[in-house]
Amino acid sequence: MNRRLAELVCSLGSVVILILYAGTSVNAQSVEESPAGEETWTALTPWGDPNLQGTWAHDSATPFERPELLADRDTLTDEEVAAMEQRAARIFDAGADAAAGDRIYLEALSGGTERFSTGTDTAGTYNQFWLTDRWFENRTSLVVDPADGRVPPLTPVGEARRSALRAELAAELATPPAGPEDFDDGLRCFGARIPMSLRGYNANYHFVQSPDYVAIHMEMMHDTRIIPLDGRPLPAAGLPQYLGDSRGRWEGDTLVVETTNIAVPDRNTGPTPEPLLMLRDGLHLTERFTRVDADTLRYEFMIDDPQIWTRPWTAAFIMKPTPGTGMMYEFACHEGNYAIGSALRGARAAETESAAAGGSPP
Amino acid sequence: MIATLTAALLLHPTAVDAQAFVAQRLEGTSMPDLNGIWQALNTAHWDLEAHVARPGLATVPGPDGELPAVPVLALGAIAGVPGGSGVVMDNGGVIPYQDGALARRAENRAHVLTRDPEVKCFLPGIPRATYMPYPFQIIQGTDSIVMAYEFASAGRIIYLEEAGPAPVPSWMGHAVGHWEGDTLVVEVTDQVADTWFDRAGNFHGEALKVTERYTPSGPNHLLYEATMDDPEVFTRPWTISMPLYRRMEPDVKLYDFKCVQFVEELLHGHQRRTPIVEQWEGDYGSRGAILHMNLTRSPSE
Repeated sequence: MNRRLAELVCSLGSVVILILYAGTSVNAQSVEESPAGEETWTALTPWGDPNLQGTWAHDSATPFERPELLADRDTLTDEEVAAMEQRAARIFDAGADAAAGDRIYLEALSGGTERFSTGTDTAGTYNQFWLTDRWFENRTSLVVDPADGRVPPLTPVGEARRSALRAELAAELATPPAGPEDFDDGLRCFGARIPMSLRGYNANYHFVQSPDYVAIHMEMMHDTRIIPLDGRPLPAAGLPQYLGDSRGRWEGDTLVVETTNIAVPDRNTGPTPEPLLMLRDGLHLTERFTRVDADTLRYEFMIDDPQIWTRPWTAAFIMKPTPGTGMMYEFACHEGNYAIGSALRGARAAETESAAAGGSPP
Repeated sequence: MIATLTAALLLHPTAVDAQAFVAQRLEGTSMPDLNGIWQALNTAHWDLEAHVARPGLATVPGPDGELPAVPVLALGAIAGVPGGSGVVMDNGGVIPYQDGALARRAENRAHVLTRDPEVKCFLPGIPRATYMPYPFQIIQGTDSIVMAYEFASAGRIIYLEEAGPAPVPSWMGHAVGHWEGDTLVVEVTDQVADTWFDRAGNFHGEALKVTERYTPSGPNHLLYEATMDDPEVFTRPWTISMPLYRRMEPDVKLYDFKCVQFVEELLHGHQRRTPIVEQWEGDYGSRGAILHMNLTRSPSE
């Protein structure tokens, strides 16, 4: 028995784990039926590591930062959560306009009763039918540190960066695209990004473990994080990569992953929480993955950039098994991406028309 | 030629040879450990069948053989396609196409630059992903295996337990694996018909079923076999075979090859407000001349 197993057995004070461990074979499944008919789960891999394997989803509706309306509430009661769920179900039926990120929670919180509409006639955008159902939890923010559930104040450098970012995004939205570079990473079908902040839109992650590696195959942009566990040191400086250089280690039953050399995007819009758009090259990312029970994987990431924020901060995402078949769909984005070509063609056509009418370019 | 080919086929390693090697087990299990970064070292990505070297992926007829076509001319020898003995194990090394399908392959070859999905950085499908000139990594779990490919950050999950039917057709297919002795057998179905097998126009239809076999044949080698069965395109199933080699460099890892970015200019350059890639000029000196290449684009259709 290795050290981690011993710790886990001690901490749980249970022999159930021992029995499950002894029964683990190549055919062992993560979820098994106990004789009593209740679902249990194999706590450890055959080589004694905590077992995180499976396909996990992050479809919580909880907003990234705590809404001001709930400033003094870090959790809601079960009754309040049920009321939020009912209201969200009413205003976000299949015909409602699609709502990403924090929007569902904030609309439900605002007390509206009408079917949700963005109020704009955005032809071609999709409605709620195409999005996965979001779930509600008692927590009122994904940010767990600081305790007020809000990302800490920016430094003056951070303020300047945020202003520049907002101005850049506004300018892009106001100007027809000159070329593919004027679209954000998501529309261009570039790679997946870390930390893994998706919510309710292809937010599925397939974990597979071996003694020396953990791999996280991510649905969005079909990329795979490959995390060595063999104790090799992090390279001091390496080639910038989308998913950086990661190293993992087990601390008790938690997988701790440190990542450097991340090629931080200069632009990645969509529903990404704004603080995560402000990450910079040189970021040292610390993430923690803990299998809380058979159906819960807790994912935390800590951001420490004293140039931008006045103190480090941490967000925690609660992942659940991917609903339905539990299978991950392929996200073949680029192969069917007609958006960039169509938008550029539209922009050029508008310019041609405008020139023909003797007007100045839009 | 035929004699050489036959000899090459006979010298190929086989599953029987490979089984003589006893692979290390994945710790705590009875499974052989397939973890590692692997790569093929052959010319299957150019052409699964036996082929002689030629001056480029796109060529035009010359007075004494093929000449490089304009898109690859400036690359000189770098554009050259190396020859190889082929990896098709049966039918005399020839893919058993139905008659109409053979005509389509000829068409594919004539338009390889515009039709090969690799050119556009589309997901490569199976088996092509395995023997592209890029490494891939196997991360072997207990209930599933992830194969991550450097090309286009492609990847797939191989389910080792009951997975149910494919939710939808996909580029990388629906993969369900099981063990036969020390061989990982993967049944791949539900691939879209858009993927190819190589840069030589070899293709398949929607009915394709691929049966892959990964057998450890030494501490640093896997024998890779794949049988293609598509009754709408081929007259019978056919099989390819090749060794895969473990990448041995210290700290070896997969690097980003996010070619979506690399092909934006090819796909969208004509739609820029102000064209950027229009003209190129290179001085090859006394062994050549100043080469001017001017790009003109016009709408398709």
